[in-house]
Amino acid sequence: MVQETGTDLYSGVLRFYTLNDVRKYLKELLERYQRDYDRSSNVIGSLLRTEGGKGMEVIMSKGWAKVGSMFVNASDPDKGGMEVTFQLVTEMKPRISKTEEILKTFDQVEQLPIEANSTYLLYLHGGIPERLVIDSTEPPPESFSFKGDYTTVQ
Amino acid sequence: MGRVLEVTVLTEGVDATRLNDKATDNVNSNYSLNVSLSERDRSSDALVLSFTLELTSHPQAARFKVSGSATLKGTKDEIKEAISAPDDNKPPPILLMVYERIYSTIYVLSGALKVPHPLPNLLKKSS
Repeated sequence: MVQETGTDLYSGVLRFYTLNDVRKYLKELLERYQRDYDRSSNVIGSLLRTEGGKGMEVIMSKGWAKVGSMFVNASDPDKGGMEVTFQLVTEMKPRISKTEEILKTFDQVEQLPIEANSTYLLYLHGGIPERLVIDSTEPPPESFSFKGDYTTVQ
Repeated sequence: MGRVLEVTVLTEGVDATRLNDKATDNVNSNYSLNVSLSERDRSSDALVLSFTLELTSHPQAARFKVSGSATLKGTKDEIKEAISAPDDNKPPPILLMVYERIYSTIYVLSGALKVPHPLPNLLKKSS
């Protein structure tokens, strides 16, 4: 399997040890979504420019047929591929807006009175950060350090 | 996010010194190893450690000092297991992994200095 385009969308819970780490993660997530969006939309954009004046019909394939529970396109792979990329780009927009909005207003979370030594559980659903749990019951792990003397042996 | 621990070792500094004019590379020699590991950065699925390993041959012929970073990526439990020594005499698994990864560098340098090669084998606590 080779990923042609798109983005990995994580669903699950991540634990962070500082609020700054949460902010950093959200920033990296947004950058990744924007990068993936730019890459996919460039493909669509260049095709629309090449086929100037023809509008959306350039990327709407007529070769789809319902096979079982799935739409399959065996007769028009170029347009079929372009159409699904366009669908992907359309779906990426709200994800980017939502993540952008969360990051823009994240200082409101940072201003909350938070107990020292709290950790943070971030719940993501389909790649969108939806909820944050401030967990004062599980402190961050102690900073690790180790010193020792050893010898090499036969 | 269950997965197998992934460890990346980056060597950032190497210092090799020949300590004895009469040293040759055709004798057996044990090396003592002084090690220091400390946390540089930590996130929910990764731990970055700074390491310094100083190897000195006995009898004294050469000293090697290698420093760098080791990045562990995995679950909280996998990371914890990698940095915990199984008992007082055994080093934490991450130290063995770092030693394995830097061993080829030390081997080449000991050849260049014409001093005994350190052994690649497991390490035990010096008495």
